[in-house]
Amino acid sequence: MTLAPEEYAFYMQGAGLEFAPGVGVFDLDMAIPKGTIVGMIGPSGCGKSTTVRLLLGLYKPTTGRVLTMGKAPTEFAPADRERIGYIPQQFVLYPNLSVAENIHFVSSLYGMPGPARRARLDELLEFVEMREARDRLGRQLSGGMQRRLMLAGALMHDPALLFADEPTAGIDPVLRDRFWEQFRKLRDEGRTLFVTTQIVSEAVYCDYVAVMRKGRLLAIDTPEGLRHSTLGGEFVDVTVDTPHVGPAMKALRRQSYVVKRKAKGGKREAAIDLLPDDTDETDTLRILVDNASARLPEVLNLLEEREVTIHSAGEHVPSYDEVFIKIMEDVKAPDEDVDNPAGEVAASAKGATA
Amino acid sequence: MSAQVGERSVVEAGRGSDSWLTRIGAFFRKEINELRRQPRLILSLVGGPLLVLGLFGAAFQNANPKLRTALVVPANGVQGVSEERLSQLIGLNFELVEVTSDRARAEELLREDQLDVVQIIPDNIVSSIAEGTNPTLEVESSAINPVTEGWVQYLAYALVNEINREILRTQTAQAQSEASGLQGRIAEARVKIGDLERDLSEVSIRQFQQITTDMLTILDRIEGALPANAVLGNTRVEAFRQHIQETRATLGRFEQALADGRVEDALAEVQRAQSDLTRLDDTIQIFVSIPPENIIAPVQSSYANLNRLGRAFDPVIYYAPGVVALLVQHTAVTLGALALVRERLMGALEVFRVAPVTLIQLLIGKYAAYTLFIVVVAAVLSLLLTLIGVPIFGSLLLFVLLIILLTLASLGVGFLISTVSNSDSQAIQLSMITLLVSIFFSGLFIALDSFARPALAVSFILPMTHGVAGLQNVMLRGLPPTSLSWLGLVLIAVVTFGLVLLLFSRQLKKA
Repeated sequence: MTLAPEEYAFYMQGAGLEFAPGVGVFDLDMAIPKGTIVGMIGPSGCGKSTTVRLLLGLYKPTTGRVLTMGKAPTEFAPADRERIGYIPQQFVLYPNLSVAENIHFVSSLYGMPGPARRARLDELLEFVEMREARDRLGRQLSGGMQRRLMLAGALMHDPALLFADEPTAGIDPVLRDRFWEQFRKLRDEGRTLFVTTQIVSEAVYCDYVAVMRKGRLLAIDTPEGLRHSTLGGEFVDVTVDTPHVGPAMKALRRQSYVVKRKAKGGKREAAIDLLPDDTDETDTLRILVDNASARLPEVLNLLEEREVTIHSAGEHVPSYDEVFIKIMEDVKAPDEDVDNPAGEVAASAKGATA
Repeated sequence: MSAQVGERSVVEAGRGSDSWLTRIGAFFRKEINELRRQPRLILSLVGGPLLVLGLFGAAFQNANPKLRTALVVPANGVQGVSEERLSQLIGLNFELVEVTSDRARAEELLREDQLDVVQIIPDNIVSSIAEGTNPTLEVESSAINPVTEGWVQYLAYALVNEINREILRTQTAQAQSEASGLQGRIAEARVKIGDLERDLSEVSIRQFQQITTDMLTILDRIEGALPANAVLGNTRVEAFRQHIQETRATLGRFEQALADGRVEDALAEVQRAQSDLTRLDDTIQIFVSIPPENIIAPVQSSYANLNRLGRAFDPVIYYAPGVVALLVQHTAVTLGALALVRERLMGALEVFRVAPVTLIQLLIGKYAAYTLFIVVVAAVLSLLLTLIGVPIFGSLLLFVLLIILLTLASLGVGFLISTVSNSDSQAIQLSMITLLVSIFFSGLFIALDSFARPALAVSFILPMTHGVAGLQNVMLRGLPPTSLSWLGLVLIAVVTFGLVLLLFSRQLKKA
């Protein structure tokens, strides 16, 4: 179903902001529906925060169009801003204020009256598991508690839209999981979340993942879609007797469902990798196919027909770190690699709008 | 958690003016909560000035510097005034540590900073005066402090006046003594003149010539002993001098007529001399009856202080309004200077920009919180000051209004510093410079009259200048602050608020 630009939570079309020649964000295209979590992944300085600021209306795009909740964010009225919650990258906490006072302060900025604040405070502290720390001063909080405090402050006025700029940076994996659990709860309540992160593995928690590099959006898709589109298919791992490796590879190369990839010299060849095992008796073949679950039986039948002894077989799901690295390896900015221009990727990114 | 996302009921409940005030209240409460969590700051703000004033009161003895002085006297003693009296006069304002005739040694001690002043008495005071020249009392110092040097020069001037006065007093007393002695001679001469008129014999003439010669000698001595007219300016002494001169002239002519054998002329002069002597006798009678002090200083002064106390205040009391003004300004400037720069450095401006809060709301909230805090601190400090005797003779309402206005003006300066500072330390540094400028140019320690007119512009833009003047009026004189004090503070408050609004809105847009 195609929505009008105004109906998306976030809509960017050719949006860009150039601070200096070659510095900024360029040709951003995305259309994110409401009630989802979009995660923006990329290395430090790639333009994630700038994108957030464009969506918040803190920056005005020099090119293209930006809509947040159907409006140009630079023209937001106070009523529009009241619907937004924001956790900035730089931690804002007043060390001499208690947890409750910090939260009261932020929610008061949104015009939330005292009785409403008091009524909601306990609920929020419960949500971020900080009820016991209510009267603790900001300077007495651990890093993780400070992050949770900021989340509580951003949620007090019940925003429909939450921007979190690297909220999980520098906190331990357990707490990160808890954060994402809370984000998903918020999503389930109907909120839209825009979360930036440098931690690639967090892509799995998102409904949509946007990958940025050097100010350009390399890809935007669902996590699975991103993995599939990046790798060009799905992996099937088959462990066979070492003497049977050659015949097996020969048979598989001829199959149409095995994805072809560009090899050295520009020649295209079937994407089958040989992964030597620790023993001298078996080896593993990693085969890139268009659909792992559908093709695995076909692969096994083919090998059995060739009387190849199979020790084990199954789908290999690469981590998002691997996917991210692959994206970074495959796609370079236009000024870095003329053989693989970013424009091509940008086009694919445009095509991948949700 | 609520599942009614997007209904915005919690915020809408506070729409309108309530919402506007809620946002101001956000900053107000935040600042108050942060300040109340700094008890040391509050204690130092209230206790610090009290402690300083207490120490000042306990330690302060005299505004004049203590000047270690050596007196270099001529080897043959001092003329015209006794050495003991001279030491007394010097001791009034200088700490006389040595009396010597060795000028070189005294100057060496001065150069070695073992002395502050060397005073060299001329060796021929009276004879120089008699010769019509002015002897010079040399004063030397090694002061490096311009204020001390000013004091040395002023006190040396006062000392010379005292010495001059003492010399005149001595001379006048001497002249009166001589004149008293003349009265007997005049009576004798008048008898002789009567005899001479009746019997102009050879013997009488010789006797009278002797008396005349004696009288002329005495008249010369009296006139010589009389201080110069220009110095005294006393009409009775002038008349006395004139009568002496006339009598001497008459006696001179009489003596000459006798010597020339011009008896008729001599008789005429004898009659005139009789009249002159009678008049001179009367004049001497008046001259000797006037105390020497009245002759040398005919105009006396009396002093009365018409303030409520009837005298000047103790230094601690006098400086108390200035200390209150200093505390208010410095606290406000420092709080203001750190207020915005800290928000900027911690990245809060970005949060403020995302939130539906305006710069006006931010500034009003902070101004209100800081003003309340400072007014409360100033009120507590003033209350404690009243316990040590610092009065508030004027209206309490005007006192509070002045403190509020001084706070607002000072906060404006502080916020302005905050907008131009890139770091905490820079803001603190600029606050300290403001404090330093205020100490020199606000009139607290150095009167504003001491400055060239262009420098008064600097004084005018300092809130403390108007605060000190206004608080002194209200607290010590029982008067309302002058229009200039009100106007100055209002102008500073309004102009700085406008500038802060302008500059900070630009920074906020870049946040």
